[in-house]
Formats: sequence, structure tokens, C-alpha cells
Amino acid sequence: MMAQRVGTTALRRVAGNPNTFFTHNVTKLALASSLSNMQTRPVATQKLTPADGDSILAKQRLARPVSPHLDIYDKSQTYFGGSIWNRITGSIFSGGLYVFGSAYLIAPLVGWHLESASIAAAVGALPFALKGGLKFLLAWPFAFHCLNGTRHLVYDLGVGFQRRTIAKGGWYVWGASIVGGVYLAFFL
Amino acid sequence: MASIARSALLRQTAAFPKFSVATQAIARQSAIANSVRATAAFHTTAQRALLPPLPQHVDGSVNDPAPVPAPSPSHGSYHWTFDRLVAASLIPLTITPFAAGSLNPAMDAFLCATILIHSHTGFQQIIIDYVPTRRVPRTRKLFTWGLNAATAVVGLALYEFETTDVGITEAIKRVWSA
Repeated sequence: MMAQRVGTTALRRVAGNPNTFFTHNVTKLALASSLSNMQTRPVATQKLTPADGDSILAKQRLARPVSPHLDIYDKSQTYFGGSIWNRITGSIFSGGLYVFGSAYLIAPLVGWHLESASIAAAVGALPFALKGGLKFLLAWPFAFHCLNGTRHLVYDLGVGFQRRTIAKGGWYVWGASIVGGVYLAFFL
Repeated sequence: MASIARSALLRQTAAFPKFSVATQAIARQSAIANSVRATAAFHTTAQRALLPPLPQHVDGSVNDPAPVPAPSPSHGSYHWTFDRLVAASLIPLTITPFAAGSLNPAMDAFLCATILIHSHTGFQQIIIDYVPTRRVPRTRKLFTWGLNAATAVVGLALYEFETTDVGITEAIKRVWSA
């Protein structure tokens, strides 16, 4: 390596001071003569304006991965978490209310019968298991949203934030809401 | 190292004796493209497009601080407290008519109104969380006004139901004991 370095330095010196003896090096010399004596680095750098630099940074930021995938979290905190199920069960009821409300409003125009008497008659005609199953599909979200909503209201008072309390409370709400849902659907 | 260095230098000098302005611009563009590609290659996180991110863009310069919204109690703490009061008042309102076994039209109307407000603010929170203005400003506007319209329609529907039918409590009782 040293020898090569010495060689090129010599070449440079010669390039600055051409000597007719080194005729076999003429092509190399012609190239080397355009070089200065300044040390340069082989890394290809580019002059960038500040605006170009900003646009590179902006593009890099847009290429960043967004957020960790839900898979990496503890299942009991994401998939079975009371918070998201509170939102889901609430949406079932509010969505149902909005759909029923809109349907009830246009029912006379389309000829549907959505009066409480006709719905009750239709439900009454169903077999017991189906009726109970349908009622459970409404009763469980109701029980869950009630119990978990109360739990969240208690949190809002700043109470019950110990990790064990949160974890246990979540499972209690699941158990109680299923039991409550079954009771409301089949025994009421 | 030196040999590599020199040969690269020689080749470069032979290829581009003098940079013109145009070549410089092209070189700069390709440098930007290269560096973006290079950084993309550094990301080792597995890409799973289960929930692809909504369109993103950088406003202004990348080093600008995130804008801090002006404090507004009516959109903040008052709104929060109001939401909690509505939610808390729903507990006695839902239980009382069934527990007491008596029906009061005024109470039924109050229950309907409270449920409607609770639903509206709940949907609002969902829209605010999942349809961010920063990412999809027009979709957000569409959803917000769509919700307002839907709430108005359902409000009218509940009024119709309360005045022409038997009221929500009695209707649920009917269907449940059918």
C-alpha cells in the first residue's frame, strides 16, 4: 500500500514537471496532469442546497414505518382490553339506534312496518333459542358497556389505577357482562 | 485503500472533466433518489400492510415544531366534563324506568335526548381518533358533517317514535317480553 502511495505521489510530481524520459507514461500523465496536489477522498459527495436537504429529510420521514403492529402487544391489553370493547359495544348500540331511527323515518314511504307492536309480534313468533340468542346479542353489549362505562367513570375520578386493579377489573367486567347478558336474554 | 481511491478518482476525472450546471442538477436529483433508497434499505421492520397508514405529508420544514393548538376550555375540559355528566346520568336514566316499573313520558324523552347526545359525542370521538385532519382533511369534514346530518335525522326519528309510538322504554319492554 505504501509503495503504491509513493508511486502515485511520484506520478503527481512528474505530472507537475513533465519529463520526456517517461514516454511510456504519457497517457497516465495526461490524465494526472488535470489533478491538483490536494488530497481528495473517494467518497462521492454532492453539493445540495438546503431546500434539497430538507426534501431528502422529508422523504425519509415519510418512509418511516408508522407504528408497531398490534401483534407485538400483550393480547389482554389490546384485543381483550375493556377500553376498545367499550367503544365497540357502544358503536353497536349507537349504530343500531341510528340505523333504526333512519329506517323508522322512511318506513311509511317504503311500506315497512317498524312500529313497536309489529316488531314485538315478529320477535314473539321466533323459536325460543333464536329469540334468546338474538336477545343475548343485544344484552351482552348492553351489560358490557354499562359495567365498563361505570369502570371508566371511576377511572375518571382518579381511582383504581394500580396495575393489578386494572387487570383484574377487566376480567371481572368480562365475566359479569357475560353472566348478565345470559340473565337478561334468557331469564328476564 | 489508496489504489482503489486513486483509480476511482482517475475514472471520475476522465468521465466528467468539468461539471456543467445541467449535469450538476441531474447529479443532485440522483443523489436525492439514492439517499432515499439507501435509507429505505436501512429499515429492518417487517412491512405488514394490514392497516396501511393514511397519506402523510410534511408541512413546512421538517424541523418545525408540532403546532400546539390554542387552549379552549369549551373544546377541552368543559367538553370532557359534559361528556362524563351525560354518561353518568345515563346510569339512573336506564335503570329507573325498568326498576320502578312506571313510565313517564317526560323521563322517556329525557332518556332519548341523553342517549342521542351520548351517541353523537361517542361517534365524534371515534371520527376524531380514526379520521385525523392532519392526514385526510376532506374525509374528516365529510364524516363530521355526515354525523351531524345523521344525528339530526335520528333526532327527528326519535321525536316521531316518542310522539306516534309508545316510547322507547315501553317498546323495549314489549319486544323483550314478546
